[in-house]
Amino acid sequence: MSELAVQAIDVAKFYRRGKVTVPALTGLDLEVMKGETVSIIGPSGSGKTTLLNLVGGLDVPNRGKIVVDGTDLSNLKDGELTKFRLQKVGFIFQFYNLIPTLSAIENVEVPMTFAGVPAEERRSRAEGLLRSVGLQDRISHMPDEMSGGEQQRVAVARALANNPSLLLGDEPTGDLDSKSAKALMELLKAVRKDRKMTLIFVTHDPIVVARSDRAFAIRDGRIAHELSGKDLQNARRSDEYDSAMVEGVY
Amino acid sequence: MDESLVSNIDNITGVYAASPQLTSTAYVDGDTVFLYGIDPATYSSVTNGLTIVNGSGLSASGGNQILVSNSLASNLDIGVGSTVTVGPNSTGGSSYTVTGVFNPGTSFGPGARSVYVPLANAQTIAGKDGKVTEIYVKANTADDISTVAAAITSSISGVNAVTSSSLAATGSALSDTLTSFFTIIGLVALMAGAFGVVNTMMMSTSERTREIGTLKALGAQRGTILKTFLSEALLIGLIGGLAGITVGAAISFVLPSLTGSGAAGAVSSFGGPGGLLRGGLQTSITATNLLLGVTLGVIVGTLAGIYPAWRASKMDPVEALRHV
Repeated sequence: MSELAVQAIDVAKFYRRGKVTVPALTGLDLEVMKGETVSIIGPSGSGKTTLLNLVGGLDVPNRGKIVVDGTDLSNLKDGELTKFRLQKVGFIFQFYNLIPTLSAIENVEVPMTFAGVPAEERRSRAEGLLRSVGLQDRISHMPDEMSGGEQQRVAVARALANNPSLLLGDEPTGDLDSKSAKALMELLKAVRKDRKMTLIFVTHDPIVVARSDRAFAIRDGRIAHELSGKDLQNARRSDEYDSAMVEGVY
Repeated sequence: MDESLVSNIDNITGVYAASPQLTSTAYVDGDTVFLYGIDPATYSSVTNGLTIVNGSGLSASGGNQILVSNSLASNLDIGVGSTVTVGPNSTGGSSYTVTGVFNPGTSFGPGARSVYVPLANAQTIAGKDGKVTEIYVKANTADDISTVAAAITSSISGVNAVTSSSLAATGSALSDTLTSFFTIIGLVALMAGAFGVVNTMMMSTSERTREIGTLKALGAQRGTILKTFLSEALLIGLIGGLAGITVGAAISFVLPSLTGSGAAGAVSSFGGPGGLLRGGLQTSITATNLLLGVTLGVIVGTLAGIYPAWRASKMDPVEALRHV
């Protein structure tokens, strides 16, 4: 884990709300190594999602640099950013954001369509991805015929469609019960191991934090502190305790 | 005009035959009708004649004989051999024997309520002895028509000769008016349709803001979003166009039977009983019109989709994803 996957240098981002300029990020620095799983925690409005949007190339900073896999995103034009998202990034959202009129497999095929993958290859790759997230029996189901956990698994399969090197999750477990949340995190752990991907999550959920290599607390638009190993251990312990509760050990 | 003009016209060079007619209104068994007095001897050599469906035409021998239209016959529950009272008002009149029933080629309008009697009888009923209202003239050849018409107009004062081609011109002027009327209605409908597509597409793009944001996050280029929504607008236009020609074709099938479809057609019955619309409205479905309908639908749909699609393609993914 010596290579840098993501580097944010003195990043600032402001939003205009009418006449008022609202600072979202105010000089943030962050480094994430390849293959790492990192959680960003912090109160609402602290700039977590803004950071994720910048790293994912959905937006560009007003100041500073975002470098992903050696590419400086702040210099990219709109079309190039889109191409970057298509090839390098997989997104998972809190509310899954599946296209409601498309079946599970069609949803997974969408990013491959954008990348120009031929229809047959698209179908077989999408089938393989759905199998790898354990949804081989749900291939032709529509989103509203699936549970939240299943929908989020489809979203994971979709995020992996173009073999990205970076997987970004905005509250990926935010709409899931703890059992589904843990299953999702196990899945992502396996995915990371198989594909040597970098995972960055914005989250409130101790279940996610407990399964991260590192976690950062963000406040007022900059990294306030990195959670200590002890903090993470505590989270894991409380998580184990929680699991044991669920499993009826105590 | 005076009935004696008929012989004057007969003497004009190029005239094949002339036949007088007196048009008036009268009452048959208390029912208002259009009364036509004709000269049975010359009528069918000048006009296309009447289509007798029952009985026979008027005989040249005169007497109180009458021809009634088939719809009038069924309305009054009379037929060949029936005796009816014909007079200038609903109360009085003389007895006439129905000798024949004819098909005027229409089931509504003046044609459907027409009766024919010998000219002399019509003059008596209308109280216009020796008078006629029209004289039908047939020229020897089609080339003679305008010369004959000019000769009639110049040699007989107070008479205006109208040729069937000028009647046809009146007819085509009427049909031109109808065409521009329907064109305007069509344009208004197109505008309304375009507005409908714009509205639908704006609704659709704003309802699907988050979806658009998601697609952009997944790597959809602006052009892809633009194409997606333009295709949707095109599809709406295509479906609208197809539905339009289907309804239009259905109306085209139904309309002639509602207005009475003359087998002879409208043009050939100009000047005959009932006038211009005796043959009813005729409709035609042409490949050009069908194609035009669908093409216009697609073009208007696509054009109307441009702005909403462009708006969708320009959406900021961050804003769009935040949209609930």
